[in-house]
Amino acid sequence: MNKAKYNKSQKKRESYTMVVGCGRLGANLANTLSDIGEGVVVIDKNQESFRKLSPSFGGIALEGDASNMTVLEHADINRATAVISLTNNDNTNIMVAQLAKEMFGIEQVIARLYDPECECVYEEFGISTICPAVLSMKEIDKLLPTIPLGHLEEAIQEDKGDKA
Amino acid sequence: MKKRVFLIGGFNKTRTLADSLLKKGYEVTAINADRNKCEVLAQKKQLNVFCGDGSKPFVLEDADAYNADIAIALSERDEDNLVTCELCKKKFNVKKTVSLVSDAKKTNFFYKMGIDSVFCAVSAIAGIIEQHALLEEMSTLATLSQGRVRITQIEIAKSAPVVNKKLMELKLPHGVIIGCVLRGERSIVPRGNTRVHAGDELVVISSDEHESDAIKLLTGKGE
Repeated sequence: MNKAKYNKSQKKRESYTMVVGCGRLGANLANTLSDIGEGVVVIDKNQESFRKLSPSFGGIALEGDASNMTVLEHADINRATAVISLTNNDNTNIMVAQLAKEMFGIEQVIARLYDPECECVYEEFGISTICPAVLSMKEIDKLLPTIPLGHLEEAIQEDKGDKA
Repeated sequence: MKKRVFLIGGFNKTRTLADSLLKKGYEVTAINADRNKCEVLAQKKQLNVFCGDGSKPFVLEDADAYNADIAIALSERDEDNLVTCELCKKKFNVKKTVSLVSDAKKTNFFYKMGIDSVFCAVSAIAGIIEQHALLEEMSTLATLSQGRVRITQIEIAKSAPVVNKKLMELKLPHGVIIGCVLRGERSIVPRGNTRVHAGDELVVISSDEHESDAIKLLTGKGE
């Protein structure tokens, strides 16, 4: 593991994107952002997860529980331009996103939610949500033209619950 | 009609709370994700038990959360409690939501997210222990508005510096008043010229930042 990842002097960068949860998606996103020269801080409560980061990763990897406000403060969340919460727990993602939005005033906040049913609740709070199930459904709909179009769309809408 | 209370997550707290609420005539529903714990909970008569994750909308729906009057989230994970309460409030229109929080720093955040009452068990217990450990002659009777206002009962020992003084002579800090003097069987609502006797118990209402000053002044002890 590259020691430079923990070098605090790197924190002096102007702004950065915070990625919470260094799973497959989190690590990929962090690597990509780092590759295009964006500042990245990735937080995960398990040190082992950082092995998924590429050797060229130039951001900061921080071990800690991002649902803890002290950890977020330590990561200098105030300077984050965007917070993207991608842990494998919906509730953690929701709380991290809401903490970032309400307590630290971060404008751009994204949470991944496995359960599309919760989505309607969080749109109200101004949190963007990504739901893998809904996205996959849309893709399947595209790939399977044999199924009458719009059929799956309806199902997705039902899944999302009534937004009105 | 009986008020319906939902207890979501938590086990020992749910058991204790369910007992006391059932005794008071509420209709109580407990939701717990652990099947074994549910079986123990289900041994209580009158208690409705649902097995499932209470932060999931379909579990709350199965348990008929639309008809709940009060939802109390008691799990150990702050994020679960937050989501449970938000779902109850937004999706199921539960009138009152109550949540436990393990990280005291999040108390304000929880209030901001629309939860009606938030309790941090750790800081509440730490506060009680601190009070009892530091000074024996006082006991806090109540704390109001999240601990900003305290009502404290202080026993005046013979050696206390305020014995035989009038209240107006005490130079109590602003933000502290003596609401009542308990003397033997009597309780006196004091005026400025009321004298403090040894053995009196004073009921002091104060803001939290002035409480320790007031105690120091009245008992002559403190750090």
